[in-house]
This record gives sequence, structure tokens and C-alpha cells, in this order.
Amino acid sequence: MNLYLKLLSGSLRSRMQYKMNFLVSSLSYGLIMAVDFVLLAAILQRFDDVKGWNLYEVGLLYGISSVAITLYRVFCVEVHNFERYMVEGEFDSLLIRPVSPLSLLLTKNLDLSRIGGTIQGILILVISIIGLKLNNVELFLLLIYLPVTIFSGVLICFSLGLITATIAFWTQRIKDFQTFTLYAPFNAANYPMNIYPGWLKIIFFTVIPVGFMNYTPVLFLLNKGGDTWNLALPPLVSIIFLFIALRFWKFGIRHYHSTGS
Amino acid sequence: MVYWILLQKSFMRNMQYKVAHLINNAASAIFGFVFIAIWVGVLQGKENESPYSVLDMTYYIAAVQCILWLSGFLTAGLNIQNGVRNGAISLELARPTNFFLYVTSQEAGRLLYNLFFRSLPIGLVFFFTVGFYIPQHIPTYFFLCISILFAMIISINLHYLVGVSACWTTEINWAHFVNFTLLVGLGGQLVPIDLLPAPLSLITPYLPFAGAIYYPVMIFLEKASNDVILIQLVWVMVLTIFNLWITEKARHKLEIQGG
Repeated sequence: MNLYLKLLSGSLRSRMQYKMNFLVSSLSYGLIMAVDFVLLAAILQRFDDVKGWNLYEVGLLYGISSVAITLYRVFCVEVHNFERYMVEGEFDSLLIRPVSPLSLLLTKNLDLSRIGGTIQGILILVISIIGLKLNNVELFLLLIYLPVTIFSGVLICFSLGLITATIAFWTQRIKDFQTFTLYAPFNAANYPMNIYPGWLKIIFFTVIPVGFMNYTPVLFLLNKGGDTWNLALPPLVSIIFLFIALRFWKFGIRHYHSTGS
Repeated sequence: MVYWILLQKSFMRNMQYKVAHLINNAASAIFGFVFIAIWVGVLQGKENESPYSVLDMTYYIAAVQCILWLSGFLTAGLNIQNGVRNGAISLELARPTNFFLYVTSQEAGRLLYNLFFRSLPIGLVFFFTVGFYIPQHIPTYFFLCISILFAMIISINLHYLVGVSACWTTEINWAHFVNFTLLVGLGGQLVPIDLLPAPLSLITPYLPFAGAIYYPVMIFLEKASNDVILIQLVWVMVLTIFNLWITEKARHKLEIQGG
């Protein structure tokens, strides 16, 4: 843990050498997500709800999903950009270090410019929670549970990112896979799962389990269905999925063949 | 003609990645299904409150997902920033070819590839699943071709502007993301711009972003007057002239650092 914190602080210091760049990048990433949500708000202002979910209820899903994926982009930037290690042959240099390649990847770099997206996601969460006008008990339960659902979301996102990175051991390039395994599912998780056709719902509750991250617990927390089990599902699914992702990563490393140089 | 050869070479280079692009096409179709599902969820039972029916919005989103590969998802900064960073820009600007045409013709080759290997396959996926609009009037096809061409030129120009700004700023990531956000947000990727709240709905029809996505889609769906092509034409001319001018400025700014 000490080593991890040292590596992280080094990465942080190197990033903060370019403060202006950091500020402008953060603001622009935040702007992208804000425009996205403003457009959704424009639809829901005009047509009231989407299959029974009003703007604040969708905002809750949207905020959780946004914060989860942007935190992954901040802390797991090297896993996300793992393609580079395969294409440029840099993975060999990770294998000869005394620390595991995954630990090195997770501590090597931070993408602080994505923090703007996280802050914007938190703002949407705050606005939505205020707009929901929950009673004290419901509000207390939601606030207590939010860190659990966000952390589960980050784990699910990281697991999907790691599985996609592992594919690079065979295909070298993964950018096109990421659209399929990360961007599209997390975009879908911004909205309630009940709007999707059956086959999409099956995908989002099995192979790409983003539905468990926010939809399942929020259903219960907003009295829209389900029982207390809904609250246990996000951490449970995320841990199982993380386990599978780590096994797949180890399997990938065992089958890695350096191209040499 | 050298620019035509550049365009062809770019087309052929993209052919190397057909399989990876097919996977990405599936993801692009999923984005489309998600957006369609949102509109179905929003409009069901409320169609009388909307100028668009559920079927209209299904066709709209399906067409948008296809046009995005021609005028939305372009190379960030058309890669001009890389040349600025490694110094190759000095050689590129010193060539006897026009730098603006040199860069844009390569991107045009990529977009032509996208037409055959991204837009058409995605359109077919929608055709066989949720349905895809087929224009009913013959002149529509003529105006559609012009509108799509103008949309591509507008978007290439916007991306060129972002790329060439690297001659002054070096870093273009943020400018690219701002440009992309405005392009898809105010271009009507998720919400047709006439449904945006005022004053946005009053301003956006006259911005270049509408010319890049919204107008060709509305012409395709036969829901807009063909006159909107004139708005696109104005932006094509303004942006092209501006970019040719700014390229000259960049050439004059160039400093050779020695080596």
C-alpha cells in the first residue's frame, strides 16, 4: 500500500506540472458529459418521463454510472490504454520488474483530466437527490448506499476494462472492442433498464453486467420494485466479475508471446 | 492528381482494419438501439404531444448512427497535432502541395471507406431489425448526395481547425472534445434540434453543427426543405476560406528549430 501511494503521488506531481492543461482538459471533459445530460433533461422536461422514470430518477442512474466510469478512467488509465504495451512492445519491460504487471499498470499513471467528468457526475447526483424530495429514512439509506453502488460500478468497469485489455494479448488492438465492452454499456446504464428490449437486457445482466451497478439497487431505493436483496447484488456481482477478470488476465499473461526486438 | 491518389491510399490503408471495424459497427448499432429505446420509452402514449412519432424517431436515430461515420467520428485534429509535436509539420508545410488539401484529402479517403464499411453495414443492421427509412421521391437522392458531401466538408473543416490550432497551442485534446461535443450535441445526435428548448432551438439551425448531422438526416427523411443545403453551402465556403487563410498564418509562424 505504501508503494502504491508513493507511485500515485509521483504520478500526481508529474501531472500537476501542467496545471493549465489539467484545468482546461477537466473542464472540457465535464462539459461533454454536461451537454449529454442537458439534452436528456430537455427531452424529459418536454415529455415528463421515460417509461415511468422522471428526470431526477434517471439522474440518479446517470450520476452513478458517470462517476463509476470516470473514476475508472482516472485510476486505470494504463489498463484502458493497454493496447500501447502490445503495439509498441513495452509489456516485456513490465514482466521483468519485481512487482506484478497489473500493480505496475495501476500505479504508473493517473488521468486527472477525467476528474472533471467525476465532479460533473457528482453534481448530477446532488441535483437529482435534492429534486427527488425523499423522506428522511429514504434519503439516509440512499446516502449510505451511494458509495457502495459507485464502488461496485468502478469494480465492474475495471473488470470489463481488464477483460478487454487481456484480449490485446491475442489481437494487439482493443480500441474497437472498448466501444463494445465499455462505452456502449455504460452509456446504456445511464438510463433505466426497463426501456430496453429483452435481448439487450439479457446482455446487461449477464456478460456485461452494468445493470446491477445502479438499476437494481435504485429500483429498491426509490420504491420501484425488488427487495433488500437488490442492495446486495452490486457488491456481490462486482466481486465475482472481478475474480473472473483477474483469472482471465492471468490466463492471458501465461499465453503471452513477446515479439522480441 | 496527387490529392486523389492520397484519398485512394487512405481508403486502402483503412481496409487493413476491416474486422476490428465490424466489431465497432456492432457497438455503434447498440448505441443506436439504446437511443431508439429511450425515444420509444419517452414517446409511448404521448405521440400526440410530439411532432415526431415513435417510428419517426426510430428512423431518425438509425439515420443519425449512419451519418455519424461520415461527419461525426473524424480523426482528432486530422492528426496535424502529431506533426507539430514531432516537427514533421515543417516539412509538410514546405511541400509544393497545398497543406490543407493534403490533409483533408486523406481524411476524405477515410470517410469514403466509412461509407462502405461502416455507414452501409450499420444501416443494414437497422433495416433488418427496427426498420430503415427509404426516401420516396427521386429528387431526394440527388439533394441527399449534395447534403452529405457538404456535411463531410463542414466536419473536415471543423476538425482541421482544431488540428491546425496546435501550431499555436501544441495541445488539442480539449479543443477536440469541445468540438466533438458541440458537433453531436448541437448537431442532433440524440435530440432533433427543433425539439431543443429555446433559445437553443432558434440558434442551432444556423450553426455549422446542424449542417454536419441534422440537415442531411432530415433531407434523407424528407422532413426538411431542400433549401437547408444553402445554409450548409455558406458554412462550407466560410470554413474553407477561413482554413486556407489560417494555414497561411501557420506557415508564416513556423520556426525551424534546427537539428
